[in-house]
Amino acid sequence: MGLSFDDRERAFRELYAAHFDAVLGYALRRVNRPEDAGDVTADTFLVAWRRLAHAPEGPDVRPWLYGVARRVLANHRRGERRRTALGDRLRRELRTHVPDASDDVVQREDVTAAMGRLSARDQEVLELHLWEGLESREIAEVLGQTTAVVRPRLSRARGRLRELLGDERCNDLGPPGHLPSDRPIALTRKERW
Amino acid sequence: MNPKLTDEAVSNLPLQAGRAELLEEIMTTVAPERQTDPTPARTSRRNRWVAPLAAAAVVAGLAGGTVWWQQQRAGDDSNRVASLGLPEGQAVVLDAPGWKVDSLGGDGIRFVHGDAELEITSYPAKDYDSYVKDREYIVDPPAPGAPVTVLDRPGQMWAYSADDHTVIREVEDGHWMEFRASGLDQDGFLAVLGQLRLTSDAEFNAALPDDYVTAGERAAAAEQLIGEIRDVSHAGFPDGTALDVGPGEAKDYYQFGVEVVAQYTCAWIEDFENAEAHGQQGRADEAARVLGTSRQWPILEKMDTDGDYPEVVWDYAGQVSDGQVPEGYREGLGC
Repeated sequence: MGLSFDDRERAFRELYAAHFDAVLGYALRRVNRPEDAGDVTADTFLVAWRRLAHAPEGPDVRPWLYGVARRVLANHRRGERRRTALGDRLRRELRTHVPDASDDVVQREDVTAAMGRLSARDQEVLELHLWEGLESREIAEVLGQTTAVVRPRLSRARGRLRELLGDERCNDLGPPGHLPSDRPIALTRKERW
Repeated sequence: MNPKLTDEAVSNLPLQAGRAELLEEIMTTVAPERQTDPTPARTSRRNRWVAPLAAAAVVAGLAGGTVWWQQQRAGDDSNRVASLGLPEGQAVVLDAPGWKVDSLGGDGIRFVHGDAELEITSYPAKDYDSYVKDREYIVDPPAPGAPVTVLDRPGQMWAYSADDHTVIREVEDGHWMEFRASGLDQDGFLAVLGQLRLTSDAEFNAALPDDYVTAGERAAAAEQLIGEIRDVSHAGFPDGTALDVGPGEAKDYYQFGVEVVAQYTCAWIEDFENAEAHGQQGRADEAARVLGTSRQWPILEKMDTDGDYPEVVWDYAGQVSDGQVPEGYREGLGC
C-alpha cells in the first residue's frame, strides 16, 4: 500500500487505539504473569507495525491481530526471550494493577476449570469463542484454518464442555467474551508523548 | 494465573502511560515493511535497536559522575544533524552523581538513578506547537505550563502527577527538547534540570570513556571488527564492494558496530539479491552461507547483550537462508 510515512503512522495509531485493549486482554487471559502479557502485547503490535501493509482492513483486522498475538504467545511459551525490550513501563503497570482487578471476568471459575479438562485444541477454539467472542469464521482466520474445519470443532468443544458442566450450568455460559472493547478507545491528547 | 478479565475491565486498568509509551516506542524502533518512500527509519530513544539511516545524532558517556550527551555530526558537514537544537560545538552534560545513561537513541537519551528517570527527547521545530497544545491538556482545564528555564532557555512545565513531570523547552536551531522525569517530585525534577549544563565539544571529547571509538580510531577499529567477522565467515566483502567507514566522530561500540556490520550485511544481501536475479545459484549460496554465520559474529554476540540490532541481522540472514530476499532490508539495516 503506497501510503506515506505519515499516513502509516496515522493508520497505526488508529489500529493501536482501537485494538490495544483486545490484544492485551487476549494476552492477559492466557499468561501466568501480568507482565508477560505486556511482552506479548508489545511484540504483537511491533509485528503489526512492521507488517502494517499486510493488515486487513475493517472487521477482519481484529482476528488478524489475534493471529499475530497467538504466534507471539506460542514463542513466549516456548521460552523464547522477548524479541524486543519494548514496553517496560507497561510491564511495570501491569504488574502493579492487574492483581487487584479481579471483578469483571469473562467467565466463572468452574467453567475455566472445566475447560482445562478439554484437549488443547478444543480449549483454544472455545477460548476464542467464549473469551474473545469470535465466531467460527473469525476463529478460522486466527488459526489459519478453514471455517469448514473450525465449525464442527467448535460445536464438538461446546458439547464436551456441556458434558463436563452439566446441561443446566452450560446454558448459563452466557453471551461471553466480547464484553470486550467493541468501543474503540480513542487516543487521548496526552497519549501522544 | 491471572483473572480472566474482559477487555472492558482491561480498558479500565490505569495503563495510560505504559500504553502511550509503547506506541511511541514501536513507531520509533523500526520502519514498517514495504516502505515506498525514502523516509529514514527513526531510532528508538528507549532501546538500542538502531536504525542507522537516522544518521546517529548523539553519543553519551559516563565519566566521574557526569553524564554527557553531545550532538554528533557526520563527516560531511552538509549532513550535520542538528537534532538537539544546540548551537554547533556544544554538548549537554548531566553533572549529577549517581545518574547514569540507561538508553540512547538518535533523538534522545534516558538517564536513571535508582527509581528516578529523566528522559530527554528532541523533536523538529514544526511539531512544537502541537506538542505544547498536547501538554496543555495534562491539566484540567487546559493551561500553559509553569515557566521554567532549562539550559538557559525558557520552557514550560506540567505535572502528570506529584512525581511525574514534563518540561518543553523552546525551539532552538530548528529543534526543541522535552524533559520528562518520573520518580522525582517537583523540587527534585527542577534540581536535576539545574544540573544539566552546556559544555564544549572539546571538553566532551576529552572525557569519552574507553569503549568509544574516536574519530581517529574509526578505520582501524572497523578493520578489526571485519577481521573478527571474517575469521568466522571465511569471507571478506563480496567482489566489487569494500569496507568504507569514512570520517566521522566518536561513537560507542554499539553504534559503531551497527555502522560496520550494516555495511557487511548489506553487501552480502545485495549480492544474494543480484545473484538470485541473474540465476547465479553458486553465488547466491555463498551469500547465504556467509550470512548464515552471523550468529557467530563476535561483534553481534557482544551487542546482543545491549540491544536488538543483532536480532535484525539474524532475522534477515534467516530469510536469506530460506531463499528469500528480506523485504525492506535496506531500510532496516540502513544500506
